[in-house]
Amino acid sequence: MHVLIQQLVNGLSLGGIYALIALGYTMVYGIIELINFAHGDVYTFGTFTSLAVLTGLGVSGELHGPALIGVVALTIVAAMLTCGALGALIELLAYRRLRNAPRLAPLITAIGVSFILENVMQLWHGPSPIAFPEVIPNPTATIAGVDVSAKQILVIALALVMMTALQLFIYDTKIGKAMRATAQDRDAAQLMGINVNTTIVVTFLIGSALAGAAGFVSGVYYGNTWFFNGFEAGLKAFTAAVLGGIGNIVGAMLGGFLIGLIEAIATQYIPQGEQWSNVVVFSVLVLVLIFRPSGLLGESLPEKV
Amino acid sequence: MVRTGGFARLAVLTAVAFSTACSSSSTTSTSSQSTSSDAPSGATIKIGIDLPLSGGDAAQGIPTRNGAVLAVEEANAKGVPGGFKFVAYDLDDAVQGAHDPAQGAQNVKTFVADDAVLAMVGPFNSSVAKAQIPISNDAGLAQISPAATNPTLTKPPDAVKLRTSHPDTNTFFRVCTTDDRQGAAGAQFARKLGLKKAFIVDDNETYGKGLADVFEAQFKAAGGTVLGHEHLTKGQADFKALLTKAHALGPDLVFYGGTTVTGGALLRKQMGDTGLGAVTFLGGDGISDTEFLKSAGAGANGSYYTVAAPETSKLPSATAFVKAYEKRWNTDVGPYSANAYTAAEIEIAAIEKSLASNGGKMPDRAAVLSAVAATKGFASPIGAVGFDPNGDTTAPILSVYKIANGKANFIEQIVLKV
Repeated sequence: MHVLIQQLVNGLSLGGIYALIALGYTMVYGIIELINFAHGDVYTFGTFTSLAVLTGLGVSGELHGPALIGVVALTIVAAMLTCGALGALIELLAYRRLRNAPRLAPLITAIGVSFILENVMQLWHGPSPIAFPEVIPNPTATIAGVDVSAKQILVIALALVMMTALQLFIYDTKIGKAMRATAQDRDAAQLMGINVNTTIVVTFLIGSALAGAAGFVSGVYYGNTWFFNGFEAGLKAFTAAVLGGIGNIVGAMLGGFLIGLIEAIATQYIPQGEQWSNVVVFSVLVLVLIFRPSGLLGESLPEKV
Repeated sequence: MVRTGGFARLAVLTAVAFSTACSSSSTTSTSSQSTSSDAPSGATIKIGIDLPLSGGDAAQGIPTRNGAVLAVEEANAKGVPGGFKFVAYDLDDAVQGAHDPAQGAQNVKTFVADDAVLAMVGPFNSSVAKAQIPISNDAGLAQISPAATNPTLTKPPDAVKLRTSHPDTNTFFRVCTTDDRQGAAGAQFARKLGLKKAFIVDDNETYGKGLADVFEAQFKAAGGTVLGHEHLTKGQADFKALLTKAHALGPDLVFYGGTTVTGGALLRKQMGDTGLGAVTFLGGDGISDTEFLKSAGAGANGSYYTVAAPETSKLPSATAFVKAYEKRWNTDVGPYSANAYTAAEIEIAAIEKSLASNGGKMPDRAAVLSAVAATKGFASPIGAVGFDPNGDTTAPILSVYKIANGKANFIEQIVLKV
């Protein structure tokens, strides 16, 4: 029994990272119906930025007390700002001019941006895995035979906090309202006096900032990164967004946690489960889409499908 | 990597097309030279050397070549019967910085076209060997590899398919051991440490899975229990679920077949997070690099790995070689320098033997080949070397290393019984 609970903990913390990335996917898709394939690489860029900040501060080991809080806050803010700016820049340079082009054009551009980011990061730190300083002490509590580490709690908590904040932002602020309006009907929103360009840039900025936070957390959680990290993680996060209902914030979070859980459970209970876990994840996705084509929490708006 | 690979391959193909065009023209000029100047070339016998000598692979290739060149120079200093002189004829099989099978094949064609080349040392990489064996087999040119470890190069039935022109004749030999023996050595070593329950993980690639499969069979044969054998998926970075599963089974050993980049370092690192920190970790030469030390961090300490070559600094038979090498090249011996030295020495001995039986006249390649194949108990820096009918060394020596304080330390030599 405690193995099952342990795997649930593992699955939730893995899912927390997927969920943070999925939020960005789902926001961008919700507003301009673009699958932003560069998003996974923005996430890795967040890890790289965090690494640069920590290296710049001369941090290489565990920190305690106020130093810990200060450094973590500074790094996470720096990663979020850099990635947010990067996301906005990508929108401005790569996607804006293609907004009214056939949908295939921005999609291919997104893949191109993904290539560029991967290669920039490869030039930056080389093609090999890089160690990430283990800044946060990792006390592990054992409850009834189940190990829960501080880092796991951090990942899960951060995902939940970010989702709640995002949900509040979208439903309780003026710009959030503008985002919802733009998502529903861009032209009508413009006619109502909403600055569509600003709204879309803000969407990219927030989505990418969340990816930056996820990048920092994944660096701390795994103690490791490499330039190609975002490809696999981005794919899983995209799947999470689709599973939960793309365009839906709570759905993205639910999808992320579900995929993490399915992976962990499949690994545990299927013989040679490690290599079958992806098969199980995508089988579940196919089944869900057969019975609920718009995802678990997706609304069946015709223009979203 | 999948997506960037396409571009890289295209670039390499273009480069190969170019360099093939260039070197085919140089091939014709070389062969026309040797036919026109037949008489003076009788005084020279060339030992072909094919290794990656440029780009990232040069770090391995150059020290290896230096070993072979040293053997040639020593033979000349001693004097060759019949007044002949040996020449080390080295060609680079790297294209754009990495070993390239097509270039390696082209190099062997160049050797074959030169009548003065009686035998060759190389290649370094198994993929290059696969492209070269059909050509050396066709020409009957003996080649000894210092470092290619893939079992299918020598073992039937796969090896026979490579011998396209003369399936009954083998021209490919090697002085390194093979990955299947490396798995066996790992199993033997693990049992020696008193470990009984292994959990095996591999990266599902040719090298890693092959190594892990042999380890599993040998570990069971040696009385150990295998609790599970799992395969990693490319690109995966989170192995906590897998390791939790392993932890629940209570192993005293985690064996990893694969390389650092395909998951070795992360796996080792995450063992600490899943209650397996104190469990022994053992791998093959895929994790025998500084990347593993860096990426696995403090977790790397206490890990073991095997390497399919002897540690020359610890071999009494290699002291003279190590001294001579350092004097000649002013650098440290590379991991495969002694193997290349031995490969060249075996070829030189075979050529001198064929010279003697041919009355001091230039022998043909067939005579040299059969002399190489007949090598038995040849005293070399890496011990007594001989070849079995497949062309594999009969003296499979492996080394075990343990990582402590972020450094790999030599532990012991394993000599397998064949």
